[in-house]
Amino acid sequence: MTITAKIDLREQNPLEALQQFFAGILKLEDIAAILVPQRLPTKNTVMPTLVTDASFLGCVDPLAPAFPMNAARIASRLTRKPMGGKAAAVLRPCEIRAFIELVKLKQARREDILLISVDCLGAFQNREYSKFAGQNGTESTLRFYKNVMGGNINEMEGAEFAVACKACEYPVSENADIQIGLYGMKTGESILVKSQTEAGDHILKQLNLPETNEPSARQAAINALISQRTGYRDDMFAKTREASDSLDKMTAYFSNCVNCYNCRVACPVCYCRECVFVTDVFNHDPYQYLQWATRKGIIKMPTDTLFYHITRLAHMSTACVGCGQCSNACPNDIPLAELFRTIAHKTQKIFEYEAGRSLDEKPPLSEFREDEFKEIVGID
Amino acid sequence: MNEKIGKALVVGAGISGIRSALDLAESGYRVILVDRAPHIGGILSRLDYQFPTDRCGMCKMLPMINRDSSSQYCLRKGLFHENIEILLSTEPVSVQGEAGHYRVALRKKPSLVSEELCIGCGECIKACPVEVPDSFNAGFTTRKAIYLPAPHRIPNTFVVDTDSCTMCGACEPVCPTGAIRLSERERRQFKILVVDDELIVRDSLKELLEDEGYSVDMAESGAAALERLSGQKYNLMLLDIKMPGMDGVTVLRKAKEEFPDLTVLMMTAYATVETAVEAMKIGAIDYLLKPFETDLLIPKIAGICNEFEIARARFVDVEAIVLCCGTGFFNPADGKDTCGYHTLPNVITGIEFERIVSGTGPCGGQLIRPSDGKRIEKIAWFQCVGSRDLQNNADFCSNICCMYAIKEALLAKSGTNGEAETVIFYMDMRTFGKSFQRYRDKAQGEYGVRFENARVHSVVPEDGTGNLLVRYVDTCGKIHEECFGMIVLATGQRPAQGTGELAGITGISLNAWGFAETAPFSLTETSRPGIVIGGSFSGQKDISESVIQASAAAACASRAILASGKGPIPESPPETVSPELLREPPRVLAVVCTCGKSILAYTDENKLSARLKTDPEVNHVIFSARICTADGWDELAGQIRKFKPNRLLIGACLPYMYGRKLKKAEKETGLNASLTEITDIRTPVIRFSGENPGENKAAVIIESHLRMGLVKLKQAEPSTAPSLPVTRNCLIIGGGIAGMTAALAIADSGIKVDLIEQSEHLGGNLKWITETLEGFSTLTLLNDTIQRIEKNPEIEVHKSSSVLASFGEAGHFMTTVENSKKKIRTIEHGAIILATGGKETEITAYGHGTSEAIVTQKEFEQRITARSLDPSTLSSVVMIQCAGTREEPKNYCSRICCAVSIKQALFLKKQNPEIAVYVLYRDMMTYGFTETFYTQARKAGVIFIRYTKDSKPEVMVSGPVPKVKCFEPTLGKDVEITADLVILAAGVVPELPAGLASAFGASCDTDGFFLEAESKWRPVDSIKEGVFACGLAHSPRTIAESVATAEAAAQRAIRILSRNRLPSGKVTAIVRHSLCSLCGQCIEACPYGARSLDTENEKILVNPAMCQGCGTCASVCPNKASVIEGFSTRQILEVIDAALCI
Repeated sequence: MTITAKIDLREQNPLEALQQFFAGILKLEDIAAILVPQRLPTKNTVMPTLVTDASFLGCVDPLAPAFPMNAARIASRLTRKPMGGKAAAVLRPCEIRAFIELVKLKQARREDILLISVDCLGAFQNREYSKFAGQNGTESTLRFYKNVMGGNINEMEGAEFAVACKACEYPVSENADIQIGLYGMKTGESILVKSQTEAGDHILKQLNLPETNEPSARQAAINALISQRTGYRDDMFAKTREASDSLDKMTAYFSNCVNCYNCRVACPVCYCRECVFVTDVFNHDPYQYLQWATRKGIIKMPTDTLFYHITRLAHMSTACVGCGQCSNACPNDIPLAELFRTIAHKTQKIFEYEAGRSLDEKPPLSEFREDEFKEIVGID
Repeated sequence: MNEKIGKALVVGAGISGIRSALDLAESGYRVILVDRAPHIGGILSRLDYQFPTDRCGMCKMLPMINRDSSSQYCLRKGLFHENIEILLSTEPVSVQGEAGHYRVALRKKPSLVSEELCIGCGECIKACPVEVPDSFNAGFTTRKAIYLPAPHRIPNTFVVDTDSCTMCGACEPVCPTGAIRLSERERRQFKILVVDDELIVRDSLKELLEDEGYSVDMAESGAAALERLSGQKYNLMLLDIKMPGMDGVTVLRKAKEEFPDLTVLMMTAYATVETAVEAMKIGAIDYLLKPFETDLLIPKIAGICNEFEIARARFVDVEAIVLCCGTGFFNPADGKDTCGYHTLPNVITGIEFERIVSGTGPCGGQLIRPSDGKRIEKIAWFQCVGSRDLQNNADFCSNICCMYAIKEALLAKSGTNGEAETVIFYMDMRTFGKSFQRYRDKAQGEYGVRFENARVHSVVPEDGTGNLLVRYVDTCGKIHEECFGMIVLATGQRPAQGTGELAGITGISLNAWGFAETAPFSLTETSRPGIVIGGSFSGQKDISESVIQASAAAACASRAILASGKGPIPESPPETVSPELLREPPRVLAVVCTCGKSILAYTDENKLSARLKTDPEVNHVIFSARICTADGWDELAGQIRKFKPNRLLIGACLPYMYGRKLKKAEKETGLNASLTEITDIRTPVIRFSGENPGENKAAVIIESHLRMGLVKLKQAEPSTAPSLPVTRNCLIIGGGIAGMTAALAIADSGIKVDLIEQSEHLGGNLKWITETLEGFSTLTLLNDTIQRIEKNPEIEVHKSSSVLASFGEAGHFMTTVENSKKKIRTIEHGAIILATGGKETEITAYGHGTSEAIVTQKEFEQRITARSLDPSTLSSVVMIQCAGTREEPKNYCSRICCAVSIKQALFLKKQNPEIAVYVLYRDMMTYGFTETFYTQARKAGVIFIRYTKDSKPEVMVSGPVPKVKCFEPTLGKDVEITADLVILAAGVVPELPAGLASAFGASCDTDGFFLEAESKWRPVDSIKEGVFACGLAHSPRTIAESVATAEAAAQRAIRILSRNRLPSGKVTAIVRHSLCSLCGQCIEACPYGARSLDTENEKILVNPAMCQGCGTCASVCPNKASVIEGFSTRQILEVIDAALCI
């Protein structure tokens, strides 16, 4: 049974409503803590926080266009083994999808966590966000909320959405236990709260919110957004393919990579304990460099950059949720998210797989289906 | 040679022979595997597709434990196992001795081509002028007298077909390596000296004998003869008696003094016969009367030559002999009704059809008619050609033809995108094996194969089209005519060629039709102890039955070996490489085999050497003309001693040939065999041989291949192959005949057995049966077996006991067992056999339970035993076959019910010939030699009425006796039979609870029977190593067949239990725990279940004995935390780099 409820806003402030809603959840007996993005007064930036005392929820801000990290990694850390209590986690849809992938890869457990998602309004690149937020972050968030909901994307004071967000066709999470809806609701008046699982039902039942019906405008708004994003996405795919469809172009694509491996640190689904690229395997003997150089007359240093990215593509493109943190982390502005999404979209399509869609779908490589890829295995 | 090591001879290297040989070799015995063909694989080497997967899969028989003892590639290519010696073109010619001590003479047909020297270039084919039909392709293609006997074997050396070779010698000079030696032909080596004073006699004899292939010299007098004898060794002297000077008798005396072994045949005219007889006392073996009659002379000399060859045969001493000699086929052209075979080109046999669909066949796998190249659009299969045919003395069923006809029809469908029309004309579709009925239903329902229950009347050619008009009579007697593009005859089995002779040599008995006969309740034991039968030699079998029986034969053979006091080869300690050696900087000796300098046409010795030496770790580069020869190898050993390298790179051909040689060289030179890399440089050269010699490309390829080997060798860090301890105890669940047989087979190998039986008594189903269809007493079998079990000190029987839980892996399981007093005990064991049995299905259909007069087969049997039923009081009995089976949900044949009905029908007829016995059946499944009892039953007046799934008989119980209503197809109307007794063939259901199976890591199929790892190739194994099944829990089967599965399961368990430790392969996966994120993808990906998560220590564990080194885990692991030994990331990256570097 699904519970759909409405929370009316006071003074058009969704953040205050969210704060009270989360505080309500935290007060419930079966929830020990809540993982939620909050504005840190110390630096006026938004980071995930783990809160056990509802009085510390004063700076809750899941709507800010700030996306400093994919918090699926944090959620994974909190749930890898039993924590001693159940936590609620407020995550963006792409974070939830990454979390689902990590559960499948046994890096996280679904049991001890209540997933709450807020409709994603999108985010800026880190640097752009600092400029945008200025001194009063909360005020900037409310302004951002109104502008996005009102369709005034142009009034962002020059800041632009991250490419990953512009191409994202998952603004709403289907997998969260509780969904907090913004799209299709009257801006500044109310937000929607909807349970999507039994666990979500169980929580909402205890909160006794006034029940309502989901307005029909909501699905229409979401569909319109998805279709717009999909258009952008396909355009991005075409451009990226054009820029990377030969070995030479790929080499050029990554020519300013410095092997800092930030992208892999930022990637929520790159779950290896230690990347093979920092092990001895790639610690070549000095004579090897000389041999390579001798063979070609010139080699670009550092070596193995293209190899590194292709390896990451090979490993992660079935699990890539397109959150764009790789681009966010790159010191040299390599358009990583564009390439990863382009390749991941194709790989996942081949396996009829979608990262983060369902816990019931096994990662493609851990499952052997005799009837697939007949043209490759040669079995009818 | 260690006198204590047991040895077996396996005759026939088809799949049964290979299975038996591998089972014995894996249990630690030495095996000599011989086959008269020049290749292994038997008939399977000619078949590309096998039911039910329609693929091959022979390789699944290769050892999975201690797998480095064997080659691990396609068995069609060959088999190299350290305990198996394979002798091809070889046959046993005599067997002497008794159980446990047989001395066998093996005669090898000379191949006339040296296997060591032949490089397979094919120059000889171009030179050979003789062209004959290629029997491998069923005569659809031709080949030369020198030829490759099978398309895929390794090494694929040429052989001379001495039957068609004219010995013209054209091939000898063109062979670039001098591999062809026609002079080795047997008769060429048989040297005859003809001594006669008359020139005309000498000349005519010389010409005659040389034509026969012998080497002949002449002497014109006694003195000249003695001179010749002292100069050269002769095998036979033809000596004239009456000669001027020294007479024949004197020559004989003198010759015999000096050369006592010389065989002498006197030649005499009628006048001196007495002298000739006198000469025989001196030592001549016989005499010939002049003038010669060629017809007498030639066989006499051939006989002497034959004995000479037998004397030259190799004698081997073995403790057991396994005969896996297969079967032959009926030739329809020899029969009374040829169906147009050999006169109409598009009438072919089943095996010929297999060649048409084979990729290596005459049509390249395309479905076209070899006769005219037309696409085949409509094909008919005629079943039972030369089987179930009294006119051709074939009162037996050939077992496999129904299934292969369905398979061939499906192959025809898949080869034509389903367009080919396929019709099977049959009497009964004998789908009696596991999953067969569903396969047939799928063929009919899903793929549209048409099944015509009809007798074919005649086949006539359609004018000018090559098509064939078939007239057939359906079950109602109506005649139809239909046109087909091709007709495939399912030709029946016949004893293999030479079966009679082999039976004579070995002293085994044959059945009425000339097939090898086995003891009652055994499919393997013969009338001679220690000589056992495997596979189709005792009647044609499909693959899984052959494999089961071959393993069972191995069990019987190993029992005979142990009884003779011999045992397995002692386990050798694992090979180790010292860490110090691995820390030494590599000092590589590179050896390049120039293959008789032929490689040098492509590359320059000095340049290649200089380029390899640019690598600072390559110390020496040497070139060898032919490293594969003994001389070449000795030379290499010398170089190793001289240069003292710590790693060795060999560039040659056929890398897999070097395993044994390297181990030998390690002993001689101290160079560690695992620090050797052999790179095939010959194959890439052959690939470029079409191009201009000396062209740079081939040189580049050779160098890059050597470099690839080099970097792999330099990075090699072999570690000691781990091994796991074995608990030498077997747990067997189920005390029926299968469980007891398995227990005895294992206990006789000196291995402890715990036999668990849930009831209070051993015996299972045998407790309610008294006699088989053949008339063998099952009661005797039961009592004997129980007595042997109770007397055997190695067997502990736990009655009234059941299994609570189990965990563990091959080599060590822990199982808790509870007895009726609730006492719990934990048993440690290394293997488990599930022999939980089966029972008759409980049935409510056909009015069962509503009348005393409606009984099941088992109930009838029990009433007869209890004498509560008197046959003389019965006047009419109806038996209904397939009561509740062969349709969903129980869509399988129970295999035994038809035979049981025949047994019961014959019993009733014998007790009271007046009883009318009606058998209502769908298809009579009297397969194999059981068919003859079906014939007997019909002769005895039993009436058989066919019904179909859609028009089942009805049993009505209203009056005092039941009435059975059914449709009689011959009459074309319903009939009603009043029956004093209705006997229902309810079929068999397994008693293998899914929970019990899964406790041991096994699983059940849809019908609840044990699910095999692979239905054909690993028929008694479960996916999980160390877990086996037999008897009715495995599948419905007769007592003898159950016994065979039990022996097979026992043999599979003995493989594990005969060892103290289970060795792993060198190439196994390891986990680098520091890199592992425990995502567990490798556990799910491992196809052998060799990986598990140790939750306590948070580590992924690999069972090294179960790991097969396939590398799936390494490819699924994103972090290289899973690594395959010998294929480290660094090695592979560098190999790729080397491959691309020039």
